[in-house]
Formats: sequence, structure tokens, C-alpha cells
Amino acid sequence: MQAVAGVVVLASLYVLLGVGYVLVYRASRVLNLAQGDLMMVGGYALFAAVTTVSASPLIAVPLALAVGAAAGVVVYALLMRPMAGHPVFAAVLVTVSLGILLRVAVVLVYTDQARYPLPAMDLGNPPVRLPGGAAVSTLDALTVISAAALLAGLLAFLRLSRLGIRMRAAAERPLLAAQRGIDFHALFALSWALASFAGALAGVLYASNVRLDPSLGILGLKAFAVALVGGLDSLGGLVAGALIVATVEVLTIRHVNPLLSDVSPFLCLLAMLLVRPWGLWGTREELERV
Amino acid sequence: MAHGSGYFKTTYEADMALVDTRLRRLTLAALVVLLAALPRVASPFSLELVTQTALAAVGALALNVLTGLAGQISLGHAGFLCAGAFTVGILVESVKAPPLVTLPAAALVGALLGTLVGVPSLRLKGLYLALGTLAMHFVVLYAASEYQARWGFNTGVSVPAPTIAGIRFRSGLQWYYVLVAFAALTTLLSVNLTRSRVGRAWMAIRDREIAAASLGIAVARYKLLAFVASSVVTALAGAVWAYYRSFVSVEAFSFFVTIEFIAMIVIGGMGSTLGALLGASFVTLLPYGIDAVVGALAPGGAAPYWLFPLKFGAFGLLMALFLLFEPLGLVGIWRRARTWIVLWPLRYAPLRSAR
Amino acid sequence: MSLLDVRTIEVVYHRAATAVQGITLQVPAGRIVTLLGPNGAGKTTTLRAISGFLDADDARVTDGDVIFDGEAVTGWLPHRLVRRGLVLVPEREKIFETLTVMENLQACRRGGDLDAIFTYFPQLAGRRRQLAGYLSGGERQMLALGGALLCQPRLLLVDELSLGLAPIVVRTLMEAVRRLRDELGLTILLVEQNAAAALEIADHGYVIENGRIVHEGAAADLLAHEDVREFYLGGARSRAGRTYRDVKQYRRRRRWFA
Repeated sequence: MQAVAGVVVLASLYVLLGVGYVLVYRASRVLNLAQGDLMMVGGYALFAAVTTVSASPLIAVPLALAVGAAAGVVVYALLMRPMAGHPVFAAVLVTVSLGILLRVAVVLVYTDQARYPLPAMDLGNPPVRLPGGAAVSTLDALTVISAAALLAGLLAFLRLSRLGIRMRAAAERPLLAAQRGIDFHALFALSWALASFAGALAGVLYASNVRLDPSLGILGLKAFAVALVGGLDSLGGLVAGALIVATVEVLTIRHVNPLLSDVSPFLCLLAMLLVRPWGLWGTREELERV
Repeated sequence: MAHGSGYFKTTYEADMALVDTRLRRLTLAALVVLLAALPRVASPFSLELVTQTALAAVGALALNVLTGLAGQISLGHAGFLCAGAFTVGILVESVKAPPLVTLPAAALVGALLGTLVGVPSLRLKGLYLALGTLAMHFVVLYAASEYQARWGFNTGVSVPAPTIAGIRFRSGLQWYYVLVAFAALTTLLSVNLTRSRVGRAWMAIRDREIAAASLGIAVARYKLLAFVASSVVTALAGAVWAYYRSFVSVEAFSFFVTIEFIAMIVIGGMGSTLGALLGASFVTLLPYGIDAVVGALAPGGAAPYWLFPLKFGAFGLLMALFLLFEPLGLVGIWRRARTWIVLWPLRYAPLRSAR
Repeated sequence: MSLLDVRTIEVVYHRAATAVQGITLQVPAGRIVTLLGPNGAGKTTTLRAISGFLDADDARVTDGDVIFDGEAVTGWLPHRLVRRGLVLVPEREKIFETLTVMENLQACRRGGDLDAIFTYFPQLAGRRRQLAGYLSGGERQMLALGGALLCQPRLLLVDELSLGLAPIVVRTLMEAVRRLRDELGLTILLVEQNAAAALEIADHGYVIENGRIVHEGAAADLLAHEDVREFYLGGARSRAGRTYRDVKQYRRRRRWFA
């Protein structure tokens, strides 16, 4: 039972991170290798807000999330927009550079010591008893809830609202969208903002729950395996992908070898690439497109 | 013969020649003389820099063949290097194998790994392939760290100086000659691959796979060949690296190393041999350049703690700037300058007139 | 006073190759003007220069002006041009294939009447809930026109309306375009290779070759013109079968005098 709870919690974290990959990928066909670093920035934004502005989580957390969303807009305007028309791979490399720069900035300001925002907010993290004898920490439970809420909200937004339809239209054919008077740059900036917001949310939760250090970005690399297993352009597939990868990871930690568990998302990824390269729910045509 | 100069080659000999203009012959001769004379004039430190650049150039050339020529994106370059280095480390540690055994073995491991990674490339393209190679990188690293943990080499495996034909390679000067020669051979190979049937097939596949296939190019075979050629050279570079550093450890082959090599061919100019060489020099020498600048600004005292992040950041910034503003890299700048000189005083090539 | 006034524009690709030079044309309000020419003549480049779509191909308007409704709009971003009423229906990639027909129209909509589209293109009405990717070539073109109409255009730029379509479908589409002019008073710039079909409905025509305009005139005059008949409509009235030399001389003449 504890293992199941562990899987669900880990999967929720992956979903929060993976949402960023999927949104950015759908908007610009770019795999954002800096997603993990944006998550880290979200965590540090929380820490900065707590130490300089206010220790109350009601102020600090929204502030950190706003910084995260704003970071997405800035990244799009400064780095991604000029890359329009360049090969996708070049844009991916730009996100790699971005990741490097973000990490450097954080190390220069906060050094590479681990930080703990939760005690700074004067909050505890008491365990929550679940039916069936399992227990998770409060923040674990919060992670699951926010992942579910974020995913449901995004799906409804993209299916039902006019803005969401335009966003899907712009993602499919940006040029045509522009020919129809849709300002796709604004929509892509919104995609990046949402992606980076999701990353910051993951960062805030993870930093409060576990710890904060500049190497947090590695988690992002694992989450891209999740996004690909589910299908890079499918939000729904993300849940399945996250559950599969988290299950494999938890099982290898418990039964095989902790060293191997770090690699297990990539093994899942390799297996998926060999069998169904476009992922569980991804669009097959995506393979032709990139 | 500069592009657009209006002069054309008129004999097969001229077409086959490696260096075709007097200016290029002179440049090449000057380069050879410079490299041969360098040990007499340069300090051991600058000799060491050239040696490192040469080794990096081998890796960059190999990656350029795969990514620049054949258009197969690989994020697993450090994995290939790691495989080559650990082949040497393991063979030397367990059976005291001589270099004449370990180097071919490393090449063989490289070829096997290249085939393994190449097979998915028959189905995958672009980003998906890149992700596959990245996954391969983590798996190779896991295997290597498992070896280290299992056999108790927690920090790494040490490799004694190799002996070939009675010569023990240990001094900086010896390594200078060995690695510069290695880089020169790889350059020659790369140039000749580019202008042969194989290279043309790769470029055709890079530009449009379906069109290449309809021209009768065996796409699958050439893709695999690109992976194998690149990974053999890379694994060899890894093996030589192991001997040169006389130490092998997983930490040296992080994902960042892959990024460094990709940055080399991006900054130099994708798909160009000259670009790979320029990029390798640039990326290798950048941190030392920063050291020199910081040393000149603040002489004496221990290196400040921000020096390392600064180097790291400068590297990331430069890569982003090149991608954003000069995607053709250093070679692109050079070509534009050349076109500018050829066309001067015109700004553009004139409108093609009605024939 | 023309709605669209293109003055001696020059477009350069990749800062190196000139694609069109000195193109000048006028599109008066409420008329259909057609731009004819062979492949690679610079038709699409001209259209892109007007509608602000050169950036993506690393091309720039290096000289001249595009005047739309009395205002210089050279180098404006496309979505801004659309808000002014200058709407392009591109040659390829003209619909959102992963969206349904309804969603396609909704994505474009800026207040226009959805039902009006279905009266112009009744074939689409039965396919509202289908994914646009499953439409036939003709239906795609209709959906593209419909989507463009919902942007409330004053000037519609249409690139290769007839490309790859059966003659009967081409006739239906051309008829629809004519109705758009007659019933809605739309101004239309039509780029075509199918000169016969385009000149049927157009009021005025330009012929473009090698990046320059080589003929212009009222559609009826162009239809009757010897050279245009020879090279774009196929088959001359008087002398059948010209020699290669005739063609060469014609081209030389045109280069020097046109």
C-alpha cells in the first residue's frame, strides 16, 4: 500500500514537470531541456520570497509561482521567439544553454548548499494517514492534488475555450494562425508561461517537501522520459506515462538496486522508442514532423 | 576556388586535389611548420593546451560526421567516449592488456555501440533519436558506475602509461605529437569522407531522406554507417583520452561533456570540417582565456569561488548567442567575409537574368 | 484610389539572392486582380511581401512600399495586417488538420457570421464535427476560404486557388470567388498558374516572370493577347507551332523592352 502511495506521489511530480514539456512541445515543437532548471528557479524563488519578502506562505507561494510564470514569458520573448525559423534542434540547444545559465545564476547568488524553505516559513510537514495503512506527508498529498487540478484545468481550457482552440490551432500551424489574425507569439508566450508555471509549482512543492539545491534540474531530465512515454504532444498520455515510469522506478528502488532506479526512466524511454516511438497517446505524424 | 568566383575546375586532377589554390597550399604549409616548430618555442603549458585541443578536435570531427553530415542528432557522445575509455580501463586493470589490444577493442566496442544506437535511427528522427541516444548515454554511464562500485574503484580506474614498440608514452611532448597526428589523420578522414560517395549520400539523407532513397541511396545502410564511423572514432578518442589522462572515472563523462561537443560543432559551424576544428579550439581554450583575463584583472590570491560558475556561464551564454545570432557558426562568419570580398563592391549577387 | 498599391518592391532572400525586383501593381476596391506567371517567377514572394510573411524564410523587402488603404504597411506583422482587413489564403498548409471544421472556423472568427460560410460552401455544413484533416482537396480550399472570410477581410489574397484540383472543382471555387466580389463587395488578389480559369473571373491581370512584371492589362485584353495565349493559355490562334528560336527572340525582346 505504501508502495502504491509512493508511486502516485512520484507520478504526480512527474506530471507537474511533464505538463511543461507537453505544452512547450505542442506550441513550438521544442523539447525544453531547461524545464528542470525552471523548476529549480521556482523553488529558489520561493526561498527568496520567504527570506526577503514575507515568511507567510500565502504571500510567498503565489509570488514564487508568479515569478515562475513570468520567467516563461521572458524566456520565450528573449530566446525562443528569435529562434523561429531555425532548426528545432538549435532551439533545443538554446534551452540547454538556458539551463546552464539558470544554474550558474542560482549558484552565484545562493552557492551550491542545500536550502530548506519549509522551516523558514515556520511550517511543518506532518504525515497524512491514508485508508489502507499507508502514510504520506502533507506536501506529498498537496502534490497529488495540484497535479490533478492542473491537468483537469488545462484539458478543459484547451478543449472548450476559444483561447484554447486558438492555442491548439497556433500549435499546429503557426503561420496559418497568423494568417487568420491570431497573434501566435502571444499564445506561445502563454504556453511558455503555463509550462514554466507548472514547473515552478513542482519546484515549490519539491523544495518544501524535500530540499533545494542547484542540481534539482536532473529531475527534469527524468520527467522528459515520462513525457515521451506518454506521447510528447498528449496531456492525457502524460498520466499513463508518469504512472508507468514511477512504478518501474519505485519497484527498482525496492527490489533491485537504487543506482539502477536513476536510470530506469531512461530504460522505459528506450523500450518505448523501440516499440511505439510516438508514445502511448502521441500523434504518429509527430515522428515525421521533427 | 572560392565560391562564386566564377572560376571552375577543368581537369579531374584539379577536382581530386585536396588543396586547390595557392593560398590554401601556403596556409597548410604554414600550419604544418607551425605545429612542428611549436615544441621548440612554446611553454609546456601552451603545448598542453594544443594537445587538449587536438583531442577535442577528434571528438568534434566524429560528432560532425554524424550530426553535421548525416544529420543524425546525437546526445550520446559522452557515452561513446565513456565506453572507449572504460574499455581501456577495464582491459588494463583486469588482464594488463597492451595498447595494441585495447585500442582495437575500444574501436570494436564503439562499433557495436554505434550499431546498437544506430538501429533505432532507422525508425526515429530528430528529437526522438536525440532522446534515444541520451537514454543510451545514461545506460552506458550506469554500466560504468556499476563496474566502479562492484570492483571497488570508487574514485576511478588508473591506467599506466602505454608502451608501443618499446616507446613509453608519458611526456607532454610525446603526447603532443601523438594527439596532433591523431587529429590530423581524423581531419584527413573527415575531409575525404565529405567529398566521397559516402559523404554525399549522408548529406542527401540529411537534407531529405525520402528523396535520397528515391535516388537509390540505401538509407538504412548509410545511416548505420554514419553511426558506426562516428562512434568508432569517438570510442578511440575515449581510449586515447584514458591513456593520456592515465585515469578513468564516470564523473568525467557527464551529460555536460556531450553538450560541450555539440557546442563545438555549433559554434564552429555545423557540417563543416573546418568548423569542427575551429569550434574545438574555441571551446577548449575558452576557460583558459577566462582564467587569463581574471588573472590579469585580479593578480595573485586564490581563485574566487565564482570563477567556475563564471566559466560555465560564459560557455552557456556564448552557445546561446551563436545559436541566436550566428547559426552557421565561425565558418559562417568566414564564408560571409569571403563572399563579401568576392562580390565587392556589389552588395548582393545580381538578379539572375532571363536566359 | 486603389485599395492596395504596391510600389517597386524588391525582395532579397538570405541577404543574398534577389527574388523580385521593381514589382508595381494596383488592386482597386471591389475588383478581382490576378497575378499570373510560371513557377519561380516570384508570384508567391510578392504575395508574401504584401502579407508580411517574409521573415520566416529569412527574406526582406529591401526597397519599395506596400500601401494598403492609404497607409504604408511594409514589414508589418501578419496578425496586425489581418486586423486591418488584409487576409491571405496560402497555397499549402491552409487549414488546421487536427481541429474539427467548426473549431477551424472558430479559431479564425473575429465576429463574422458562421452560418453565412455554410451558405457559400454548403458542402462544409454536413462536416462540421469532422476533423479537417479528413476533408478532400476542394473542401479544404473551401474551409480555407471560409476561415479567411471570418477574419472580416477587405482585401483577400488567394495563392493558387486551383492547385491540384479537378477542373469541375476549380470552376465551383472560381464561381464562389466571383460571388464574394459581387455579393460582399470583396477586393481579391488572385495568384494563379491556371491563367484561363483566373482570367475568366478577373477584372485585371498582371504577368510576372523572373521577378519582373512583363505584361499587364484588362483581363479581356490579356485573354486576347498573342504572347499570353502562346505561353500561358496554350495554342496560338494564328501560327501553330513556334520554333525554339521564336521563343528565344520573344524572351530577348521582352527582356529589353518590357
